[in-house]
Amino acid sequence: MEELSYSQVNKEILRTLSPAPRVYYLVVGLLFFGILGGAAVWGYQILTGLGVTGLKHPTMWMLYLVNFVFWIGIAHSGTLISAILYLFRARWRTAIARSSEAMTVFAVMIATAFVLIHLGRPWIFYWIIPYPNQRTLWPDFQSPLIFDFLAVSTYFTVSVLFWYTGLVPDLAAVRDRSQGFRRKIYGFFSLGWTGTDRQWHHYGAAYLLLAGLATPLVISVHSVVSWDFALAIIPGYHSTIFAPYFVAGAIHSGLAMVLTLLIPLRRIFGFEKIISLKDLESVAKTTILTGLIVGYSYIIEYFIAWYSGNIFEKQTFLFRAIGHYGPQFWLMVFCNSVAPLFFFFKKVRTSLASLFTIAILINIGMWTERFVIIIGSMAQDFIPYQWGFYYLRWVEFSLTAASFCLFMFLFLLFAKFLPSISIAEVKEDLTPIHRGRGRRDYHGA
Amino acid sequence: MAHDPALLGIFSYLDDLLAVLKKLKEAEFKVLTVFSPIHFSEIQELMGHKPSIVRYLTLAGGILGGTSLVGLAIYAHLSFELITSGKPILPPIPFVVIFFEGTILLAVIFAVASWVLKGRLPRVHLPRAYDRRFSEDRFGILVAYTNGQRDIIQKLLEETGAEEVRDVAG
Repeated sequence: MEELSYSQVNKEILRTLSPAPRVYYLVVGLLFFGILGGAAVWGYQILTGLGVTGLKHPTMWMLYLVNFVFWIGIAHSGTLISAILYLFRARWRTAIARSSEAMTVFAVMIATAFVLIHLGRPWIFYWIIPYPNQRTLWPDFQSPLIFDFLAVSTYFTVSVLFWYTGLVPDLAAVRDRSQGFRRKIYGFFSLGWTGTDRQWHHYGAAYLLLAGLATPLVISVHSVVSWDFALAIIPGYHSTIFAPYFVAGAIHSGLAMVLTLLIPLRRIFGFEKIISLKDLESVAKTTILTGLIVGYSYIIEYFIAWYSGNIFEKQTFLFRAIGHYGPQFWLMVFCNSVAPLFFFFKKVRTSLASLFTIAILINIGMWTERFVIIIGSMAQDFIPYQWGFYYLRWVEFSLTAASFCLFMFLFLLFAKFLPSISIAEVKEDLTPIHRGRGRRDYHGA
Repeated sequence: MAHDPALLGIFSYLDDLLAVLKKLKEAEFKVLTVFSPIHFSEIQELMGHKPSIVRYLTLAGGILGGTSLVGLAIYAHLSFELITSGKPILPPIPFVVIFFEGTILLAVIFAVASWVLKGRLPRVHLPRAYDRRFSEDRFGILVAYTNGQRDIIQKLLEETGAEEVRDVAG
């Protein structure tokens, strides 16, 4: 991060809140139409029934569940960067933490939407909420689906609160530079924050605790999601390594999405002084680690299938590599495990074009991984009599595309209306330089 | 915030603010509050803040959340008494997950609620002593005075580097 004065930090970061160029509104408008299209398709699916999708026996968990797991995975790096790296005092997180947290919140919202889309009768979604009831529905707290409901709803609540807590001092900064109606809106959401010693005192303690509480939560959420599969007996699902395997994959995809979003954001809003190439390089280096863990998991899954001696496990993993979904498997291996290895070369990880390209490849690879695991395992389980392949129909394709539109739409609105980098934390990183009159002129004069 | 008449000193440099804060504390003047654009632990130390009670409230939230969610699960399982997979009606292992999620959820809600309320927020109107520059690059110190103290405090603030000193009515 370049040396800036405090007022320059405010000016640089809050520049995104000033009127945007026309192209911004054009892109937002197009994305909005994409979302409307998705809503119309969902309406068609509700009116006609789930039969309009490729849903059929035995692939009863099809693309909607692939999307659910994919978006939950994307949600992971936000809390990783905000909470875990905060506890480790990794300074490179500062410039990218806020955007990652926003990404988390939006990704969890979209993941939850796919659970509802997957329901044949979404208007009675509240039946999945576990509480004793008069409808004689049995809330089984042993079920991993109930774990999932609790884990995802807790994760969403915690992510929103953590994000909002970090935003409050910055919202006050926006309030103080706004007039009229905008001032009232930002004033309302900043809760009347004035930065007194008392407020900072309790705020600091709470923020540290939130980071401490979010850290085990982020690990647990994808573990719980993985148990949706691992607690079933289907070959390819029933594995004890699923929890760490899913968590590593989630962080891998989330970091790639951070690069995918931040590289254009940095360019469009001119954040080169705040989001340095070194910050992006640090994300790339972390991606090497997560890529290696994911690659190791792929190998160890094959070892377990062989070592178990279980004929069905061996069969599933053989089909995975050379069967109907073999091309998707090899695409997954290349994108997730081979492509990130190019980041070992400094030239690759310091070039924006290659950073962006590899990040996109990892996004594709991680989506494909969910496809291979969820659909591939269901399509060919125990006996050939009940095998059956899933084929994508336009309905779920449209809803998947609409989910990406919604994600980008929300992110663009966030970048326009909220400080996309934490002002207070960027200033805290500058403290030693900007502190006293004797060491350096604080206002850069 | 109703208080005695007070003087507000606005500073550009943190070192100056810390120096005057130390002097005011040593002279036992009543420092009402310090405004800062970011969190500085030195300010908290000089203001004599004890460790925040937010920690205990968060712990209480965690205990309440974990036990109440497990309580709900026990109540639900006893209401139906259906045996699954040969496991007991009240299986301890799955309830660990339930307890964990409930603990984190309510601990976080309590942590957020407690920093907001202990920080005396939310508030509709900003205090009269507040200056918009405090969210950008200036520090402020609000010192209450009684008869005869005003000039001493003003001199102290100006000598230590305050770029502006003004009266704030109580």
